[in-house]
Amino acid sequence: MLPEYKTSVTKVDNADKMAGKAIFTGDIQMDDLLTAVSVRSTIAKGKVLDIKLPELPKGYYFISAKDIVGENICNIIFDDWPIFVDKQVNYLGETIGLIVGEDKGKCLDLAAQVNITYEEETPVFEMVNSYIYKEFTKGNPELFKGAAEIYSESFATGYQEQAYLETQGMIVYFDNDVITVKASMQCPFYIHKAIMRVTNYPENKVRVIQPAVGGAFGGKEHYPSLMGGQLATALLKIRKPIRMIFDRPEDIAFTTKRHPSRTEISAYLDKHKNIIGLNIHVHIDGGAYKGCSGVVLSRALIACTNAYTFDNLIVNGDAYCTNKVPSAAFRGFGSPQSIFAIELFIHHLANHLGIDPLELRNKYMVKQGDITSTNGIFRDPIVLKELRDKAMKMSDYENKVKLYSRPGSNRGIGMSWFLHGCGFTGGGESDIIKAKLRIKKDKDGVVTFYTSQVDFGQGNRTTLKRIVVDTLGIPEDKVIYDAPDTSLTLSTGPTAASRTIIIVGGLAAKAAQHLKDIWVDGEEQEIIEPYVAPNFIHWDEATMQGDAYPGYAWGVNIVEVSFDPLTYQIKVDGCWSTYDVGHCIDERIVVGQADGGIVQALGYGYLENEVAIDGKFRQRNLSDYIIPTIEDVPELETGFVDNPFPYGAFGAKGAGELTFVGGAPAIALAIEMAIKHKVNKVPANPEYIMELLSHED
Amino acid sequence: MINHFIPKNLSEALDILSNHDCYIIAGGTDLMVQKHRSSGLLPTFEKDVLYISNLEELNFIRSDDKGVHIGATTKYRDISSSELVPQLFKDVISELASPNIRNMATLAGNIGNASPAGDTLVALYVLDAYLVLQNKESKREILVKDFIKGVRKIDRKPDEMITEIVIPHHDLHYYWKKVGSRAAESISKLSFLGAYITKEGIIKDLRIGFGSVSITVVRNRDIEKQYIGLKIDEFSQQIPEIIRKYDEIINPITDQRSTKDYRKKVAMNLLKDFLTKIK
Repeated sequence: MLPEYKTSVTKVDNADKMAGKAIFTGDIQMDDLLTAVSVRSTIAKGKVLDIKLPELPKGYYFISAKDIVGENICNIIFDDWPIFVDKQVNYLGETIGLIVGEDKGKCLDLAAQVNITYEEETPVFEMVNSYIYKEFTKGNPELFKGAAEIYSESFATGYQEQAYLETQGMIVYFDNDVITVKASMQCPFYIHKAIMRVTNYPENKVRVIQPAVGGAFGGKEHYPSLMGGQLATALLKIRKPIRMIFDRPEDIAFTTKRHPSRTEISAYLDKHKNIIGLNIHVHIDGGAYKGCSGVVLSRALIACTNAYTFDNLIVNGDAYCTNKVPSAAFRGFGSPQSIFAIELFIHHLANHLGIDPLELRNKYMVKQGDITSTNGIFRDPIVLKELRDKAMKMSDYENKVKLYSRPGSNRGIGMSWFLHGCGFTGGGESDIIKAKLRIKKDKDGVVTFYTSQVDFGQGNRTTLKRIVVDTLGIPEDKVIYDAPDTSLTLSTGPTAASRTIIIVGGLAAKAAQHLKDIWVDGEEQEIIEPYVAPNFIHWDEATMQGDAYPGYAWGVNIVEVSFDPLTYQIKVDGCWSTYDVGHCIDERIVVGQADGGIVQALGYGYLENEVAIDGKFRQRNLSDYIIPTIEDVPELETGFVDNPFPYGAFGAKGAGELTFVGGAPAIALAIEMAIKHKVNKVPANPEYIMELLSHED
Repeated sequence: MINHFIPKNLSEALDILSNHDCYIIAGGTDLMVQKHRSSGLLPTFEKDVLYISNLEELNFIRSDDKGVHIGATTKYRDISSSELVPQLFKDVISELASPNIRNMATLAGNIGNASPAGDTLVALYVLDAYLVLQNKESKREILVKDFIKGVRKIDRKPDEMITEIVIPHHDLHYYWKKVGSRAAESISKLSFLGAYITKEGIIKDLRIGFGSVSITVVRNRDIEKQYIGLKIDEFSQQIPEIIRKYDEIINPITDQRSTKDYRKKVAMNLLKDFLTKIK
């Protein structure tokens, strides 16, 4: 029996955050704290020939590649991203060095006086140079040859800023002889590893502690590792505490963002209008360094048929090297791009064939037991029909479709449905992450457990603690669970990939259960619980075949809009969502994810325009880069269908990314209905809508 | 050495201005952003600064036969809640920035800042608003449209300050549209204000202004005048010609907020919509 977890508890971080007592990186006070500011390249590609420094006053330093003790590499899967530019510049704003000193104003003045001579090379900004290619097939693509008709379209998505409330920031200092780091981060052990490599310090001489973190969304998965390498290098030379915090324009201009994409889809149809199969090619703009672009590409490809089953597939993907800021992790991690494409494609195909889009979608909707795009199996019960019916009822979808489809209505409603694979792709959890969770009990029966999961506002500190408290069946004040400190915790992996509750939560429940099983009053006891993947999961990374994820979460988004034909502006009038996240451990926390996820996705779909011209982003701050305000968001209604997952904690699956992936296609479909014109790109902002409609004037 | 002055009253403020070339700060919502350097650092002012927000003498709204007089330190919040202020102005202010900005910012500041995207400027141009500039010795009046010379360029002498703005009374019907990038906290991509008076089927007045489509507000009295005096049905036939005339004088740019094509097209759409609604 599952416990009744619908009732929500007060988040453990609420009181401190509401009172302004929570200590973020910018709040930390230390004696002799120095400031670091970056000296950045002013060209997108070329060689550094000479660096001329201004005269540095006493106590001011210039730190660069020459100062690195270990390797000048920030490993993000690949070894291609340098900590500091050595000779070769590959994007505009790449860090050449740091100016470090007591007074920030003086540091900025000095940084502006660093004179760098370059030998410029011709940069590439378009998706032409592929640096990662992946492909796989399903069924028998030979059958495509017998198609009676081929229908093709292309879709594009833009950059997106994470736009976390707290910008990137980090402090490094020596605690005795240990390099100690406090930073706005997602993954303490990534920073730990990066600093070890740059400094040649051993594991126990580098320590990463998480202070309060104000939002991340993937943007603090990798970038803090780069900052860690830079600041640790400065620390070894200067041996005083150093802090670097980006202002918003610096954060927007030079930190990682969502991959722009282009997806081409061809449907092969028989003479009865049945889909024989699809050929899908996803292109993503990876920027100057590969980083995690290969993994983002994998997820985009695996998710390219979304919650539909097609028997025959050819799937290809390329990630491209461009001389722009590297693209990296962001909520959804590749799947929003390809799910946007397929959701719109199905509609366009149905319209082309003269079939009701809903009918066509229903026909290919995934069922339990179906084969996934990578020839794995959807093993668990699928409640997508219930989610669809519930959302349609909540929104009065069918009536509105009839009403708004009429010419001149200027209103529209769009529905997406979607899945999200929880946890790392393929064998990532068991082969790469290898999470281990430590739980211990003292003589007084006080239990402490440790994870490397960062609570950046989403609520996992509350829920993970609850899982342990309720498994042990002891009072809440007998369980201690603090923010990660790499000197105390074993790595339970990064806070990413919607893995925290499904994977680490499951691990915490298991560890707590084992402790309960061996519990002896008055004794100190400790358990180290390793993650063991369900034994049916088989994945071959080289061929991209098998079960890509241990479990899938599902959802439906319905969005209603109205359109102003004079200004081409879109107003969001309604938004309804239903989700299967397994079992909600704390419904209010999941609704928090749902509300935040859909708003971020709506922004992606119709507002958030970020354009790089010659490698330079035009939008400088949050008055140019437009995210939705509360005035832009209607009442959000969210419902759940309970579908407990056997391998997660208390039946829970992932919720963080699921709530993002369907928003853009839902609003794009609503916009299509309102403007009576096909949409092939997000953001579908007024400028784009004007362009679409101007051909009809 | 930069001096920061906080005068006790207007006369002291004018004394200071007679000796020092100053930035004048009322609410500071534009200037503090423009002079912002980096978080944790003071803003960088390259000349003296005069803070006037505490000058209660300039915090007023009153009405006489010339129009509604609004003092230079009166906050938007108070302007929008005053019974004396015309509804059009309240409409403009309700879409301006955010409540916290409206609690600080002033109309005089919006004029002094002279941004092409200044939200109140279109209405001030269209309503023939003028302002009072004062120095130690004298006062002068100048139309807002003559005061603003270009992007952040104004006709203020170093010893002068704006003490009040006068919005003449009007009984115009109006059509106001701010086209922002979102519902709130938005800098306009463009704005449009059309206003008219008709009596017994005759156009008695016609005024048209566009914001954010040029270095300053676009308003052309010569074009407007050509159509005053026409009967409404004659006027309706002239609409394509009016649109053509504005099409020729509006040349917006592409920037981080929008494109020139969009600005132009929407400006023309709104103009057409306004003109066809005149009755």
